[in-house]
Amino acid sequence: MADSDEDFVLSSSGDDRPKGRGGARRSTRKSKRADGAPAPGATKREKWEDIQRSWDNVVEGADGSIAGTVIGLLEATKRKRLLRDTTPIQRGIIRHLVLILDLSSAMLEKDLRPTRFLLTLRFARDFVTEFFEQNPISQLSIIGMHDGLALRISDMGGNPADHLTALQEKAFTVEPKGASSLQNALEMGRAELFHTPTHGTREVLLIFGALSSSDPGDIHDTINSLVEDKIQVRIVGLAAQVAVCRELVMKTNDGDDSGYGVILDEGHYRELMMAATTPPVTKTEEKSVPSLLMMGFPSRIVEKHESFCACHSNLTKGGYVCPRCTAKVCFLPTECPCCGLTLVLSTHLARSYHHLFPLKNWVEVPWSEAHNSTHCWSCQAGFPINQAPTSPTKLKIKLSSNLASGASNGTGAATAGKNQQPPLPPTQRYACTDCKTHFCIDCDIFAHESLHFCPGCQSLTEDRIKARANMWPQITEEESRDATMGTQVAEATRMMENSKIAPGTSMEVDS
Amino acid sequence: MDKVDGTEHYNFKAPADLATLQVIILDTNPLAWAKLEKSSSLSFPSALSQLLIFANAHLAFSQSNRCAVIANHIDGAHFLSPADPGIDPRDPGEADLTPEELKEIAQQNASKYRVFRLLEDEVRASYRRLIMGTTPAAVMASPNGSSMAGALGAALSYINRICFGGTGGRSTGVPGDEKSKVTSAGGKVDDTGRTMHAKILVVSVTPDPANQYIPVMNSIFASQRLKVPIDVCKLQNATVFLQQAADATGGVYMEPEHPQGLLQYLMVGFLPDHLARRSLILPTKVDVDFRAACFCHKKVMDIGFVCSICLSIFCDPPEGAVCSTCQVKLDVTSLENLGKPVVLPAKKKKKKKAIDSLPESGVASAADSPAPAD
Repeated sequence: MADSDEDFVLSSSGDDRPKGRGGARRSTRKSKRADGAPAPGATKREKWEDIQRSWDNVVEGADGSIAGTVIGLLEATKRKRLLRDTTPIQRGIIRHLVLILDLSSAMLEKDLRPTRFLLTLRFARDFVTEFFEQNPISQLSIIGMHDGLALRISDMGGNPADHLTALQEKAFTVEPKGASSLQNALEMGRAELFHTPTHGTREVLLIFGALSSSDPGDIHDTINSLVEDKIQVRIVGLAAQVAVCRELVMKTNDGDDSGYGVILDEGHYRELMMAATTPPVTKTEEKSVPSLLMMGFPSRIVEKHESFCACHSNLTKGGYVCPRCTAKVCFLPTECPCCGLTLVLSTHLARSYHHLFPLKNWVEVPWSEAHNSTHCWSCQAGFPINQAPTSPTKLKIKLSSNLASGASNGTGAATAGKNQQPPLPPTQRYACTDCKTHFCIDCDIFAHESLHFCPGCQSLTEDRIKARANMWPQITEEESRDATMGTQVAEATRMMENSKIAPGTSMEVDS
Repeated sequence: MDKVDGTEHYNFKAPADLATLQVIILDTNPLAWAKLEKSSSLSFPSALSQLLIFANAHLAFSQSNRCAVIANHIDGAHFLSPADPGIDPRDPGEADLTPEELKEIAQQNASKYRVFRLLEDEVRASYRRLIMGTTPAAVMASPNGSSMAGALGAALSYINRICFGGTGGRSTGVPGDEKSKVTSAGGKVDDTGRTMHAKILVVSVTPDPANQYIPVMNSIFASQRLKVPIDVCKLQNATVFLQQAADATGGVYMEPEHPQGLLQYLMVGFLPDHLARRSLILPTKVDVDFRAACFCHKKVMDIGFVCSICLSIFCDPPEGAVCSTCQVKLDVTSLENLGKPVVLPAKKKKKKKAIDSLPESGVASAADSPAPAD
């Protein structure tokens, strides 16, 4: 949940311009939090008087075209999504999460198209897929809040297909009805998480469409028992902020309310929900005890004749054989239904590494360096050619009022560097800080969101790769070469020592 | 309610008939090819021309099919086709030919299908450039040099741009956002926003680069996400990474027994596109070795221990119960009495009064006996 707030901090202090409706609305909403740096001269002005109009930022070029500005805005939007903290932070990789969906009559509202209910189910499906893609050895369970009761949709399990079928069969067939009951749902979630092992995380993600909760008892008792059981709750509100939700999130996250977000529109809804697919940061005060887990790495077999699998009792011709009890399962990762051994592929473990060793943010290339490349290294897309600073076709982009803090996203040296000169159009080149290869914005995003490694670094000589390969302990020294990165690392280390990693704040690097 | 909203049309979509992009990743390590030529009499030039025939066959299927060739060279990945924009497109091997000779070559190729010729010329020219820039010393310095991860990364980034318009295969999932998808591709888009299908063929002669395990794995996951199959044609040095890559992405893994007949393997095994593959039994390897190697002794085993923090794999609980990768003290108490009956832990004294009211002896004996006597 931290992500939504991080995004905001970046957009307000970074050098990207507000992008129309969404940006303006976002900043008004957050005005309560008083961290959206007010303009220096206007002490007593209300937030809504400071509306930034997106069209003010667009200035025609000499030829009357705004193409350059549009490209700049597009890239800024894309990049805003992308810039994140790349400090290697310990995260809870083995997760146990209960997804609670609101199925009360409030979900029949049509403020989200087609209805809140249908959109939620659609996002829930995406969430399940994405969650298991990001956390292959984690477990999920789904509960619905329907007609004042908690409705169990799917049991705690690690197979995305089961959850998707359950959603299809149980949730889609339910007509949203009655009130929602936070307490009932949370108690059921707590009961499901009660037996989970201590080395994993215990989390609840609650989608809350209603503005009230009809509970059989005192919700505060439930909150306290959630705190006692070390369950972290994150809430996505669909209507408005609700005091008890805020309290619930604050109490279960050590006073950090960044896990509570209220949506602005469909896109923001999805963003908030998908933020929960990233494993939560492990706080130093032992939320979970690290331990050694016994795991089996089964081999695949192919049989001549069909036999029943132990997990679904389906007739299959092949499958994986548990190395301890030789039961046949048809799906990995899973827990052996016979002897309880966790069965995974070693690739599943490899899949989670990128959460632990994130790829560094790439930096925007200033025009002074841009002559080094004519095209993106990995996708061969051409770059705009160099334009002299005095070029008559130059497009001006107004400096936004808070540009002074533009350095916070590590691209300070780029377009926003000189305060007085009108900035140049973006170079559209982004460079890896290690191998200095230039990439386009799409490859930048692709490398950070899907590949999780830099193709340029990987095609350097072996010595360079080796230097990078010693990952965890050395990375601090290696990174401190770069001033910005160094600050980030130092900041994070300090915060880790202080045992207070507030995910919302770890992004704000003052440099 | 649904009908009023007209939501049903979201679910209905005719499968778009899309063209296919074939990306070929070709090992060009000269030493490895020399070794292969010795053992199997398949030389690099003949392999390259057979590969080009395969690429032409792919292009011949449809006018809108496309092909890209990436060289996995000793010093990194290089695009052979499309060649780097802005580079001199002439073949350096033909630089010192007279105009008459060039004309003769052009006349010989005059009746060749233009798309074929463009690809062939480009690949040959870029390959000559690549080899001219390679010194024998560099070849000897890295006999097994291969940057599989870099080449896969470049291939996937290229596919991401060509086939997905740079969206990374993530549909935004927001209804009403459909129009943003119909952009570059002349209208034809399927529901993930893809405008072309893609497949990757890896022709590999070098052994696994052990230090690239994680990036190779990451590119496997990325191609899984993009639904791009990775086909592997392994001419020598059996490999684990690529085997897993082919298996995880639904591609074909083949180790030709007679490499000199490469073309036939390519045509039969790797040419079918994703639609044809649905109705074919692919000649892939069925038994894939999924066992893991432990980080401590590199022993291959099927039951291991995994650190819950950094997911390092150990064959035995590490010494002093400290994980050697992340230096975290691990809780191994649950493993110490493996196979022994589990004993309930002593009850925490939360409710003082309740415990005090119990008979003293009963509580004490329960707390003092950690394991049953037998």
